[in-house]
Amino acid sequence: MHGETHAAAMLFGLPPIGVATTLFVLTYAVIMSDRLNRAIVALLGAGLLILVGVLTQTEAMAAVDWNTLGLLLGMMLIVNITRRSGLFQYVAIWSAKKVKASPWGVMLMMSIVTAVFSAFLDNVTTVLLTVPVTMLITEELKVKPYPYLFAQIFASNIGGTATLIGDPPNIMIGSATGLTFNDFALHLTPVIVVIMAATMVPIYYVWGRHLVATDENRRHVMNFNESQSITDRRLLKQSLAVIALVILGFMLQRQIEIEPATIAIFGAAVLMLLDNVGRDSETQSKNVHAALSEAEWITLMFFLGLFILVHGIQKTGLIGMMAQMLLKATGGDFNVTTLAILWASALLSALIDNIPFVATMIPLIKSMAPSLGGDAALLPLWWALSLGACLGGNGTLIGASANLVVAGLADRAGIAFRFVEFMKVAFPLMLISIAISHVYIYVRYL
Amino acid sequence: MKPPAIYSTTFASLRDTDTVADATRRMLDDRVSDLPVVDASGALVGLFSLHRFYAALLPKGALLGDGLTDLAFVSDTLAQLRAKMYEIADDPVRTFTVMPEHVVHPDTTPVQVILLLHRGANNIPVVSPESGTLVGMVSARDVLVALTAAGAG
Repeated sequence: MHGETHAAAMLFGLPPIGVATTLFVLTYAVIMSDRLNRAIVALLGAGLLILVGVLTQTEAMAAVDWNTLGLLLGMMLIVNITRRSGLFQYVAIWSAKKVKASPWGVMLMMSIVTAVFSAFLDNVTTVLLTVPVTMLITEELKVKPYPYLFAQIFASNIGGTATLIGDPPNIMIGSATGLTFNDFALHLTPVIVVIMAATMVPIYYVWGRHLVATDENRRHVMNFNESQSITDRRLLKQSLAVIALVILGFMLQRQIEIEPATIAIFGAAVLMLLDNVGRDSETQSKNVHAALSEAEWITLMFFLGLFILVHGIQKTGLIGMMAQMLLKATGGDFNVTTLAILWASALLSALIDNIPFVATMIPLIKSMAPSLGGDAALLPLWWALSLGACLGGNGTLIGASANLVVAGLADRAGIAFRFVEFMKVAFPLMLISIAISHVYIYVRYL
Repeated sequence: MKPPAIYSTTFASLRDTDTVADATRRMLDDRVSDLPVVDASGALVGLFSLHRFYAALLPKGALLGDGLTDLAFVSDTLAQLRAKMYEIADDPVRTFTVMPEHVVHPDTTPVQVILLLHRGANNIPVVSPESGTLVGMVSARDVLVALTAAGAG
């Protein structure tokens, strides 16, 4: 390997750290420019690192966090099969009827439903499931959908922060550190509940209190028969049973000593088995093909390339240098470092994709362990990274994938989401959520 | 002997300034589900289809993503749907006109036309490659008529 690295240095007239850094910066710049699909960019960058000899193929494959990929894939498969049952639609309509279809009540309930779904599903999947129902209800109520969609964007990003499986940054952090589903639930869910409540208060004052619907329009929503939205009761029961077992598996992860990826993939396999048992081979092939093809392969391949890229710069020593610079900037003070990670993660995640950011920060934080009291002492830093990276995405329209997906769906329905208009309300709300996180981390851990 | 044309040169069409009410009336009168829409020069603007018209009667949420798997839980009555239809009756058809995925030319081969019909096209506009003017329409029935016509081929 040493010889290969040397060859790379000779080829470009640069030391390996220079080659890796150049490739890393170029790759991130192209990802941020949105000119090329991010999976293509990450895979190209990773491939180039191997081709120029910074990494061998064996090292590159060993750098891939298969636990993160497996967990993502398993949950994607479970959700894709479950959605066919109509479960998510049922819950959304049921919740709207529980508040007698009052405009503010619907906004509150749809936000809560979105946050809860998002805690267990990928944020983008969550908004793809909930936004069409919101559009339907607001159309029936004849109220402006924008405030509802805005609240749902926030709810999806906030809810996703609450659990290990809610947002890719948490999956990456959990996988890299061994923090379990229960760790995330115990340390993040309480503050997320507070942040969710605190976010809905300004939303009420900005929009909620002005929303009005006639009794007749509310009656339209109350006439929805949510039980009719369950399209496959057999699949519903199977899905609920598998989801319950998978979550139980996550909760008992330490006791049963099985990694989350195995739990999620096994759950997906069991659900596919239940869904296909007794069916002819052609139907089985069709069902399995549909489930597999609906997985977010772009995201999975993006992660794969990213893990290799980050390992490339880690191996050449760049991550270690960045960690030393951060420690120097914070004077090596544990509290300052923790809170700096929280705020910097939030501000950066409002502008750039939080997945590559977190992928880079994980080894960086790990390399600070010797200066900050060892691995066990890093816990607050992980929560700071998670809260900052996940909640920061709410700051701008481009801060998180879910924001752009909602904006895209809204655009197709003739509702404009503009960058500045969104940011005027979103950025202060994001700052409030980070301020709450700041207080929480300071009081509980520092 | 020249084989008979596979497409129909006598067909109903709409002007882009016609209204949705005009279009639905014409559809009922002519018993068709797609009508070509042309501009003042006779050039094809697109198709006004029942498919697109029905989309306008659906809640917008049903047309977004995969979130709404069905609408069985919505109990809108025929009268409510009719009211929605009246709301768009005076809108110009161009609002609901889409360019079809496939357009053929007078010299497009029969087997190519059959392939397009087999792949799901219903009524395919036939346009002049030089001027873009609409010169005919070809449907699955037109092809059947051509195939079974005496002396064909």
